[in-house]
Amino acid sequence: MKIILIIPAYNEEKNILNVCKAIEEYDNDLDYIVINDGSTDNTLKILQENNINHINLISNLGIGGAVQTGYKYAYRNGYDIAIQFDGDGQHDVKYIKNICEPIINEKANLCIGSRYIKGHESKFQSTFMRRLGKNIISFMIKICCHQKITDPTSGFRAVDRTIIKKFSEYYPVEYPEPESLVTVIKSGEKVIEVPVNMNERQGGKSSIHAWKNVSYIVKVSIAIIVNSIRWKGKRKNVIKS
Amino acid sequence: MSLNLRIVLLVIVCIYLLVIIKQIKNKKLQINFCIIWIIISILLIIAVCIPNFIETISNKLGFEVASNMVFFLTIFIAFYLIFMLTLKISQENSKTRELIQEISILNKKIEDYRKKEDK
Repeated sequence: MKIILIIPAYNEEKNILNVCKAIEEYDNDLDYIVINDGSTDNTLKILQENNINHINLISNLGIGGAVQTGYKYAYRNGYDIAIQFDGDGQHDVKYIKNICEPIINEKANLCIGSRYIKGHESKFQSTFMRRLGKNIISFMIKICCHQKITDPTSGFRAVDRTIIKKFSEYYPVEYPEPESLVTVIKSGEKVIEVPVNMNERQGGKSSIHAWKNVSYIVKVSIAIIVNSIRWKGKRKNVIKS
Repeated sequence: MSLNLRIVLLVIVCIYLLVIIKQIKNKKLQINFCIIWIIISILLIIAVCIPNFIETISNKLGFEVASNMVFFLTIFIAFYLIFMLTLKISQENSKTRELIQEISILNKKIEDYRKKEDK
């Protein structure tokens, strides 16, 4: 089983080296690739100087485009499992094994590291507004896909080869985490959640700002609905032909 | 419309048409993007040249005032054009994204080979 970690990084000069060191300490044979998403700080310099395996995007694409580049790389280099891992130190390397397990045992095609599974709540809980937003998105997915996802915006996810291929061909760019979940569930793939612990951000800025929260929720909800309609249509076509 | 106004309008529309054709000749505009503009300008020339052209049509279509039909058509065409532009921008966006991704992956491959050769 070839496993790769995809680490998108935008202006993470403070965190990226620690993250890579943590991964190497955790498992020296684990492949990882950092996608430098056109950072304006010294991220690229740090990556080059420390000889970290990285792709340097020549222009800023946003998190979705960066992650998709990672999936393309993983697909072309024949990896069986790809794990999305944040470059800001929020995710804990200890849980890589847990998150891979359902994929290796073929219990799921996509495995989400969730902060909110009952009985295993992460010590670090985000702000009230964030959790409210997460609950609304969770509810929308429940309605559209009939599956409860406790942490739809989690960026800590493992996927198998079929989904690597799918994501390398199509990956939603604007609101990648919840939208891609809907497309995956709607196309009949299995999604599982495992409990993980997440740390507070060590530095840098989150891609979701608090004041943008409301518009984010509205846009994501619309995106989820639109996506679920599109995938329903596609499925019907498959049956017909 | 007085004859003077007609002539002024006709001159303006002709200049407009000439500008479009000149841009196409200069290869700054692709022809498939401005066919709609050429059609609009030809319609405008017809409307200016034939007396009561707009009034007759709007009467037949059942508009109470001719200006209503003109406004309706203008807004309709404007909406259509803006939507088409949004579509185009969206397509160009995905193409650019794909280009950036492919170039970046290629860059990485080149660098990997260079590193291998150095060793």
